[in-house]
Amino acid sequence: MIELENVSKTFGGQVALSNVSLKVERGDMAFITGPSGAGKTTLFKLLYLADKPDTGTITIAGCNAADVKSSYIPLLRRNIGVVFQDFKLLNNKTVYDNIALTLRIRGFMEREIKERVHSVLKMVNLRHKVDNYPLTLSGGEQQRITIARSIVGEPTVMLADEPTGNLDEENEKEIMRIFKQINAKGTTILIATHNRMLYKNTARKVFTLETGQLKDEEEE
Amino acid sequence: MFSLKLAFQSIVREKWMNLLSMLSIGVMLFILVAVAIIVYNVEKLTVRLPERLTVMVILKEGVTSEENKSVLAAIKADPAVKSIVFVSKEKALDDLKKSLKKDDFILKGFVENPLFDSFDVKIKSEGIRIDEVKRLIQKIKSMKAVEDVEYGELLMDSIYALKRGLRALGLSIGIIFVCSVTFICYTTVKILFYRHRDEIEVYKLLGATRWFVRAPFFLEGSIIGIFGGVLGSGMLMGFYHYFFRRLVTDIPMFAFISIPLQFLYLLPVCGMLLGLGGSVLALGRLKY
Ligand SMILES: Nc1ncnc2c1ncn2[C@@H]1O[C@H](COP(=O)(O)OP(=O)(O)OP(=O)(O)O)[C@@H](O)[C@H]1O
Ligand SMILES: [Mg+2]
Repeated sequence: MIELENVSKTFGGQVALSNVSLKVERGDMAFITGPSGAGKTTLFKLLYLADKPDTGTITIAGCNAADVKSSYIPLLRRNIGVVFQDFKLLNNKTVYDNIALTLRIRGFMEREIKERVHSVLKMVNLRHKVDNYPLTLSGGEQQRITIARSIVGEPTVMLADEPTGNLDEENEKEIMRIFKQINAKGTTILIATHNRMLYKNTARKVFTLETGQLKDEEEE
Repeated sequence: MFSLKLAFQSIVREKWMNLLSMLSIGVMLFILVAVAIIVYNVEKLTVRLPERLTVMVILKEGVTSEENKSVLAAIKADPAVKSIVFVSKEKALDDLKKSLKKDDFILKGFVENPLFDSFDVKIKSEGIRIDEVKRLIQKIKSMKAVEDVEYGELLMDSIYALKRGLRALGLSIGIIFVCSVTFICYTTVKILFYRHRDEIEVYKLLGATRWFVRAPFFLEGSIIGIFGGVLGSGMLMGFYHYFFRRLVTDIPMFAFISIPLQFLYLLPVCGMLLGLGGSVLALGRLKY
């Protein structure tokens, strides 16, 4: 489902990824960990085609990223739900409209949008904040809205960049429960995190990045 | 539908800039229409000019009635000619006497009739161009029995030169203003686009197509154009009601000026097309 082969990426001399090869099978839930600046976010950017690798090949959702026509990129992205590390919520839109946007882009009917938005808001326990604007929410609440937005389109692949960075233990557990639930339905999930607690007891694949290099791959 | 909503939201949010754009588009379209109306009226007036023109064909001394008839037939056969009347020199003298009235002693000095036989030729009113009239005159001049042809040459030529100049002026003003209106829409949409850049970035990351991102801007450009056109129409209406109608009642001489009110519908449509054109240009070279 997700495959990188010898992928390297530098930003004007600054090495972000160097010769990374990794593979996540369909239906897996895998983690990427590593210190700040290791290249996790960069790797995600390559996966959702916001950037191109200098060398190496990337395959995601059955597509070779280098060969994807630019007109097809939007359709591919609809299959990839992303929890951005910096949220990327639209501050001039309500929580409802932020989440609904994902579906409006896909041309859903307003009735179905309403149903789905309310059901994901319920999953992240923020139903009462439906009419708020993002800047009136706490960091953790914004993060959960971002998660809700990423799952509302029922993507086949999920990329979650530090999805629990701002959450208390209670909410963290809740989010992990949601991820597991989605994963059980067949969605492939890749989670980047510093937090060892997330993957400690989960017998999942964990990739460790350090200054752009893949250190080891362990089944915990 | 959603695009339309976005476009309206954006227009409301940036209302001052958009209002300014609409206003300037309105003024420009109004001026454009004013120029068009001037050109239109001059065209309308001069189209009927040849009709008012009487060409006097002066016949040579001692022309036989045979020759006379053949000239008449030849002129009458020409497609540009509406009517032709023979004026004998006796009739011409009578007419002259009548017009001089009491002053006809001037003519007493002449032993013989100093006038000449002639034809009064009238030109058809519609669809006759100036060069056709000139061709006709040239043709008549070349006839053997014809001494000379007289018509308001100087007047006609200067009016036609004026008309040509006005047409060129109107066209250049038209082109300049069309370009300006397009340019205003272009800049407005471009500014709006740059203001929404972050938002568009998110749209794209969520899987929005090129079309989904662009449609609101195209709509917005068109809407600005339409409202600009409506403003222009409003100004035209205002001008028509408060200025032109009063002018006509005060100075009836201007009654011949006609303002085709079809412009009222035409302006918003023009505005829309120019707005759409401007926004297509504005987004055309961006890679989104
Ligand atoms: N657009 C960019 N221009 C220049 N350098 C960049 C750019 N994006 C990332 N980098 C650099 O690439 C390296 C990897 O950055 P990245 O954001 O992938 O780290 P990360 O693993 O996500 O860190 P964190 O855990 O803090 O989020 C960093 O050294 C960063 O400075
Ligand atoms: Mg990061």
